[in-house]
Amino acid sequence: MECKQAASLMHDYLDNELPEEQALDLKSHLDRCVSCRTRLKELEQTDMLMFAAVKHSLPSASDDVLNQIMSNLPKKRRQQPWLGWVKRHPALTAAAMFLLVMLFSTLSIWKSDDQLVVKGADLDKVRIEGHTVIVPEGTAIAGDLTIENGNTEVYGEVEGNLTVIDGSLYQASTAKIAGDAKTIDQALDWIWYRITNTFTEVAYR
Amino acid sequence: MAELSDAGLVKLARKGNQDAFAELVELYKDKVFHLAYRMLNNRHESEDIVQETFLRVYKNWDKYDENQKFSTWMYRIATNLCIDRLRKRKPNFSLDAELNDQDGTADGYSLIPGDNRTPESEFLLSETQQIIHQAIAGLPAKYKTIMILRYLQELSLQEIGDILNMPVTTVKTRVHRGREFLRKRLEHKLF
Ligand SMILES: [Zn+2]
Repeated sequence: MECKQAASLMHDYLDNELPEEQALDLKSHLDRCVSCRTRLKELEQTDMLMFAAVKHSLPSASDDVLNQIMSNLPKKRRQQPWLGWVKRHPALTAAAMFLLVMLFSTLSIWKSDDQLVVKGADLDKVRIEGHTVIVPEGTAIAGDLTIENGNTEVYGEVEGNLTVIDGSLYQASTAKIAGDAKTIDQALDWIWYRITNTFTEVAYR
Repeated sequence: MAELSDAGLVKLARKGNQDAFAELVELYKDKVFHLAYRMLNNRHESEDIVQETFLRVYKNWDKYDENQKFSTWMYRIATNLCIDRLRKRKPNFSLDAELNDQDGTADGYSLIPGDNRTPESEFLLSETQQIIHQAIAGLPAKYKTIMILRYLQELSLQEIGDILNMPVTTVKTRVHRGREFLRKRLEHKLF
C-alpha cells in the first residue's frame, strides 16, 4: 500500500466508515510506515480538538434573542379556521363539498317542484284522481312505487317499497305493502333520502 | 412540554402554537448561533442570523416537509443565510467554484484569504483555543461550512449532504481535505 492510499483510508477510519478488511490493510501499513503513523495521530488529535475545544469556547447567543424572535414574528394572518382545516383534510373536504352541493341541488328541486310525480314500474293499475294516487283494492303493483307531491291511498297490494314524499299516506285494512312504506314530509328527510339513494346508486354503478 | 419530541413540537408549532415555537427556538438558538459565529466570526451578525433563521422557519412552515428532519431543514436555512452574508462581504465568494478540485487543496478557495477578523471574546480563550479558532477561521470557505457542521453540530456526512444539497461523496471528500488543512495548520503549534 502506498502512503497516499493509506491517507485516504485514515480519513475513512476517522469517519467511522472503514470496512474491517481495509482496516487490517491500513494497520499493516502503519506498522511499517512511521510518517503515516504520525499523520494518523495528528489527524486524530485534530478531530479531538475540534470536537472538544471548539464547542466549549464559544459564546452563547444573548438571553434576549428568544424574546426578540418571538416579538418580531409576523402577526398571525387571520386565516379562516376552516381554510386551515380544508388544507389539512383534502379528502374529507371533498366529501363535505359533495354533500353541500347535493344539499343545495336537492333543496332547489324541492322548492321548484310542486307537480305530482308518480314513479314505478307498474303504473297501469294505479288510479289517479286529482292530487290523489290510488292503488285500488284487488290490484297488485309490481315493484316499487314512489309518489311525490300527492296523497296516496292504498287499498290493494304493493309488491315493492312505497315512498310518499310530501303527501299523506292512507293504508286501508285491505292494503298490503311487501317492502317498506315511508312517508317523507320534510325537506331534511327528503335530502337524507336523496343522499342515501345517491350513495347506493353510486355504490352499485 | 419538555417531554415532547422535536417532531411533536414541530407539529404544534406548525399549527400556530407559539409556546411550541418558542420551545423550538430555545432548543436550537445556540446551535444556530454557534454555526453562524463560526462562519462569520461576529457576535452581532450571528444574532441577526439566529433571528432571521427562526423568522424564516416561522414564515415557511408550509414549505417544510415532515418527512425531513426539522434540524436539517433549519440548518439549511441558517447556512444559506450565512453564505449570503459571506457573499456580500466578498464579491468573489462562490461556494461552488471548483478549480483543480481533483488534487486536494489547490482550488479557488485557497486563493481567498481566510476571514481572520478576531472576535471580541477571543482574548478570553486559552492559547490552544485561539490557535484552533484561527485554524477554523482560516479554512477555505468551501470547507468551512462543512467542517463547522461536522465538528460543531456533530452531524453525520449524510445530514451535511442533506443540508447543503450535496452528494455524500462530495461531503466526504471535503471533510477529508478540511481535516488535512486543519492538521497542517495545527501541526507546528500543537502537536
Ligand atoms: Zn505511509
